[in-house]
Amino acid sequence: MPTMTPACRDIRRSILRASKASGHGHIPTSFSVVEMLYAVYATMRHDPRRPDWPERDLFVLSKGHAALGLYAVLAHHGYFDVAELDTFGAFRSRLGCHPDRFKVPGAEVSTGSLGHGIGLAAGMALATQLRGSSRRVFTLVGDGEANEGTVWEALMVASHRRLAALTVLFDDNGSQVRSLQIPNLAERVAAFGCDVVEVDGHDVDALRAALATPAPTVRAVVAHTTKGWGCPTLADNMLEWHRKSPDDAQLARFLEELDAA
Amino acid sequence: MRKQFRDTALELAAQDDDLVVILGDISHFLFLPFQERHPTRFFNMGICENTLVSVAAGLASQGFHPFVHTIGPFLTDRCFEQIKLDLCYNGFGANIVTTGASFDYAWDGATHHAYADLAMLRLLPGMEVTQPGSPRELDALIRSQYRNGRSTYFRLSDHAHGLDVPVEFGRGVVLKDHGAPLTVMTSGPILGNVMAACSDLPVNLVYFHTLKPMDHALVARFRHTKILVVQDAHGLAEAIAEVPELSMAVHGLPDRFLASYGTVKDLRQSIGLDPAGIREAVRMRLGRAVAAA
Repeated sequence: MPTMTPACRDIRRSILRASKASGHGHIPTSFSVVEMLYAVYATMRHDPRRPDWPERDLFVLSKGHAALGLYAVLAHHGYFDVAELDTFGAFRSRLGCHPDRFKVPGAEVSTGSLGHGIGLAAGMALATQLRGSSRRVFTLVGDGEANEGTVWEALMVASHRRLAALTVLFDDNGSQVRSLQIPNLAERVAAFGCDVVEVDGHDVDALRAALATPAPTVRAVVAHTTKGWGCPTLADNMLEWHRKSPDDAQLARFLEELDAA
Repeated sequence: MRKQFRDTALELAAQDDDLVVILGDISHFLFLPFQERHPTRFFNMGICENTLVSVAAGLASQGFHPFVHTIGPFLTDRCFEQIKLDLCYNGFGANIVTTGASFDYAWDGATHHAYADLAMLRLLPGMEVTQPGSPRELDALIRSQYRNGRSTYFRLSDHAHGLDVPVEFGRGVVLKDHGAPLTVMTSGPILGNVMAACSDLPVNLVYFHTLKPMDHALVARFRHTKILVVQDAHGLAEAIAEVPELSMAVHGLPDRFLASYGTVKDLRQSIGLDPAGIREAVRMRLGRAVAAA
């Protein structure tokens, strides 16, 4: 079991406080991707002061419902003030429950409907290939999202075109035990022609190693994660907490659990 | 019309390094000259229409001007959400070019027909929707719209109307204005049958190759007349009806799938969209319009 890094603990605190302040949830799925997002932004070429920097690498949150996790990571990097997280989901907020690229500094694509972001990311990687650029494109797909056929279409196309600029992270958090769990996800992704690395999705060092260099074709990082990781109450009751936000007492308990993690 | 699409794309690609063509395993033989001339910008990407549109959106996000092309229902009915979200909602402009308008693929049956594409795509904010009726119209519309940052739908047919009609995106064309109490409005290839049906009838005739944006001002010019919309796909009548206070009727499709085979001519005849059927509908409406005038 990896140790939670201080930065990822801070990001989780921000997620909890934002959820409490706003009354909106998706905490467990945001918690499962914190280390992945942290590792992606630690790997990418990007500049929070210049979100439109032409030389930047690109990240697409294909599982758009983990937006609160993305916002917390973007705020951690300085794309906007952490205090803005408290506006999450409010009518005039820039930070909706799914990211809007016209509002959120650092969000490259507006996502939400599952199975779209990975195809867009493949197109971005194809653009990189056509331009002969060294730009890299990262996208994060959920294991539930992988129920969508378009995920596999996009993988087929991307690996056939050997889009080496593209790295696809799979958040294999077991959320689909309730409907259509995909067993042996890494084997299946490999069968679609990707260069697969399996990691513990809460191990920042392992994730950074997997992301450090592109493969000769599409790199897929299948990250085994736990929804709600860091707060046992959330992890043990992920279905109940899928969209819930905590009250004062629950927030206090979750913060305590987080400190002990 | 498909050949014109190829020729126009080929000519534009010679001047525009950002023009790319994505095929869904259709028209690949036709596009061989493009593939030979621009091999790095030609992709016969596979029979995965949803992904073709998403990939085009990704390319557009990086400054390319993609054309995505395959059979109508598969690229519109199937891909409505990709066009809605990946292109329109995200503001990434790509060109959707289909073949097999309405029931061009008559003998393939209803699985290959597309009647709702124009109507559906008109509903998407930011989308441009065209139905060229001839190669010349297609050429002009592509040239004016393909790299304007918005997504544009070009609905191609293998049955051009064979008439020479002025083309300016967003503008309808008055083909006949007799000051008549009835105005026939139509769009796309069916114009050939409409012209044949109305050649000696005292009616006004207005033609549209652009369904979005609709030329509201031109429609409003004929508000004082009865309007009969003749269409072989849904969408035109809805666009015209955006103009308030019209007295409008529609001669078009029945509320059932066209489950016969044969040819386009057979199917048009079966639903009254052959010249005789259109003429009968126009004469009936004209009689009422004259009586009401």
